[in-house]
Amino acid sequence: MLDIGGDNLFVLEFGDILHYYTPYTATLFLVALIFTGLVIASRPEKQVDIAFGGDAYYAKETTLSEMRFRRFMAIACGLATMGAMGSGDLFNFTLFASLVGIANIGIVAAVKSRHVLDAAYEYGIVAMVATLPLFGGAALILATTGTLSIPALAAGGFAVPLVGKAFLALGVIGEGMAPFYAAKAEMFRAPGAPYVIMCSLSSLLIFLRVVEIVITI
Amino acid sequence: MLIITRISRILSNFQNLVALFAGACIIVSLIGILSLPLVFEGNQLYPKSQLDPASGLYPYNRGGVPFGTTEVICQYPENSPYAGYVTTYLTPLSLYLAENTLYLGTTIVAHPGGIIDEILYNTRGADTVVETSILFTAFAIASYLYRRREGE
Amino acid sequence: MIPEYSLGLLVAFAATGIAFYALMRETDGLHRLLLTDLIEVASLAFIALIGTDLAEALILPGLVVGASELIALSEIYRVKEGYTRPPDAGLRIEVMESAPAILAALLVVYGIVLSGFSGGAVAGLGVIFYFLCCGHAERFALLETASGYSWVLWIVAFFIFMILPQYWFFAVMLSGSAILVKVMAKMSLIGTMRGGPNA
Repeated sequence: MLDIGGDNLFVLEFGDILHYYTPYTATLFLVALIFTGLVIASRPEKQVDIAFGGDAYYAKETTLSEMRFRRFMAIACGLATMGAMGSGDLFNFTLFASLVGIANIGIVAAVKSRHVLDAAYEYGIVAMVATLPLFGGAALILATTGTLSIPALAAGGFAVPLVGKAFLALGVIGEGMAPFYAAKAEMFRAPGAPYVIMCSLSSLLIFLRVVEIVITI
Repeated sequence: MLIITRISRILSNFQNLVALFAGACIIVSLIGILSLPLVFEGNQLYPKSQLDPASGLYPYNRGGVPFGTTEVICQYPENSPYAGYVTTYLTPLSLYLAENTLYLGTTIVAHPGGIIDEILYNTRGADTVVETSILFTAFAIASYLYRRREGE
Repeated sequence: MIPEYSLGLLVAFAATGIAFYALMRETDGLHRLLLTDLIEVASLAFIALIGTDLAEALILPGLVVGASELIALSEIYRVKEGYTRPPDAGLRIEVMESAPAILAALLVVYGIVLSGFSGGAVAGLGVIFYFLCCGHAERFALLETASGYSWVLWIVAFFIFMILPQYWFFAVMLSGSAILVKVMAKMSLIGTMRGGPNA
């Protein structure tokens, strides 16, 4: 076992599910916390399109209800990310990752642009099927080692199958679209700056976390 | 054309995204088939033991004393001092059905009490909290999109 | 002899491969959405292969995640394709005039007796049926409030379990009834989603 996270700073016990914070995960948690605070406090951007070659420009209006809905989704996404950062249980982590995925869809789903919705739909399909590698990976690890707890697995003595780890990583990639931001670039055309950036940040954070998990167990 | 240009062109089109991810999943499941056989760990949490077909609670009878500590094989027993209490609890109606029929076991998951509730509510309660939050978020999206129509 | 678990895994991996192959070849948006169900089933197979009580408890979240994402995505699909025409008045048969009240009441009472998840589903079915048949003017706010409060009750019950475990009985009853109300409210929202002037 490789200890890349450092010593436990704080352990929160929920029955069988532990939440633990090492210097590594605590840093990620703080980033998510700060950004969620920013999302709560800030006002959304107002996009202005300029017609090329002329003086005309038009501002995209965001209605109040849409703004509130997207802020709600961004906050939910931030909370889910914070949960995923600390979770010390594989299955609990996969559930938090799914929550990040669906909140990401929600952030852009309220936009009324056909192009954005197309991209969000494709992304949503991927986020949905990504639950197979996520749950499959957690189930494979549970079946072959008899435990889901990351600290217990990290203590050694278990032969965690490689395919289980690969499934976990693949699932997080699917939920967050972490390495390929192709669809996300399309989704960023949606107006409302702090909220869409939450999509990116949350997927980056859960990807960093799954790397830690895969190396640790 | 450079190969990297070609790859990035494919990656940048979001229409290919699902196919790309599906391809990656197919490759990993092929790796999974190649890595067989995997050994099943016999020493599992919450095992299905003590099956007694004659019991009215079959196949969910996990024994134990009502309102007393019952042995439940969980990950961190020290975190759940009252583990086993929910397992052995039956509502009066459920108790009546269990004593008089053989069929309560098939619906025990629907009654308060039982091992599944023990796991879902108590030892792994955080899972269920996240799960209901996912349901909440998904319904918020669906009902927002559905109801927006009337406002316009 | 091949161990049973590996045999099961072989089937599950093969099913995964086939399901993803189907998804890869499909280009139509709606068909892709339908094919995701095929994949959800394979993911449940992985969990079910463990075969312990824990696996049974884990299948429930797995199922719920799949179902709820399906609901959200199908709404996105509808909006994206611009299907906004309200459906017709719908089916009008005699049983829909006379039966709703008594059938719905029976189902709701039976659901409350069952309580918990399945109870919520049974009671929700009754409420869906009632709303489908009898209209649903101005009930959204009430249903959503009920569902929101039951979610909060669930969280409260969770913290009772974790912080004050000696009150486990209260927590079981709280979470059992909260999940009943929650599932019922969520399902009955589906019953109201049938277009018409009040939708």
